[in-house]
Amino acid sequence: MILIIGGAYQGKLDFAKEAFGITDADMYTCKGGQIDFTKRCIYKLEEFAAHHNDPIGYFESHREDWQDSILILQDIFCGVVPMGAENRAWRQRTGRLAQYLSREANQVSRIFCGLEQRLK
Amino acid sequence: MTIFISGGAKNGKSTLAQDLTVALSKGGKHYYVATMISSGAEDDDRIRRHIADREGMGFETVECFRNIMDCLKIADKDGVFLVDSVTALIQNSLFPVEKNYEMDLIVANRCAEELVEFARTVRHGVFVSDYIYSDAERYSESTEMYRKCLADIDRRLAKVCDTVIEVSAGQFIIHKGDLRV
Repeated sequence: MILIIGGAYQGKLDFAKEAFGITDADMYTCKGGQIDFTKRCIYKLEEFAAHHNDPIGYFESHREDWQDSILILQDIFCGVVPMGAENRAWRQRTGRLAQYLSREANQVSRIFCGLEQRLK
Repeated sequence: MTIFISGGAKNGKSTLAQDLTVALSKGGKHYYVATMISSGAEDDDRIRRHIADREGMGFETVECFRNIMDCLKIADKDGVFLVDSVTALIQNSLFPVEKNYEMDLIVANRCAEELVEFARTVRHGVFVSDYIYSDAERYSESTEMYRKCLADIDRRLAKVCDTVIEVSAGQFIIHKGDLRV
């Protein structure tokens, strides 16, 4: 599994397309608490974490499904602690999910202004 | 040599940019491109602090609030230009003061095009931007557009500049090129 992280609009998806030949047909864009792991590239994992109370548990129970996936997650956990309890919980779930996936990943790439920084 | 610098607030971007500009000038002409339109006492204070920071460094100040190519009408393109900041230029363009800060994508796009052209035209330039992309906030549509426009120009400048540096707590992460000026 390859994990791509970085801030908003930094070029994470463009990097996945260029480096791994991902096309729109290969992509699943998260919008709720479910993921279609039949797609090779899972985009906006932070949105999945916004809609699922136990994202790590979900990934563990689908272990076999994402071993060869390319996972893209926005690092929404670097800013000021949000005022709203819901956003605070979302931020924490996303941060913990990032740590979990980063441990599991064969490669972790951070994208900064369109440039790759290899973290693992 | 062109250098793009980004990172969080108050992490040392401007100081690094000033030092690099002076080093690149090798005693020759170097310009500070003043980009901020003051909107009150807080901004006046910030501008005063920046001026004090640059004192004795030999900068000539060129005012430019939007279309950066205009600088070259008065400044020597073989000098070194410090553009601090890209953020202010995009903000001035996307939310023009004379239109009562109503969002204007056409003006912002022109500003972005000119920044890329400027980076390709000048011999030496140092561009400072702000990294505002990694927080858990659901922003309004106009703030999202502002983040998107700034990120777009950041990526384009990172592509054309020789060196790309992220500043974090006064430390430097070199994403592209090197710091040998």
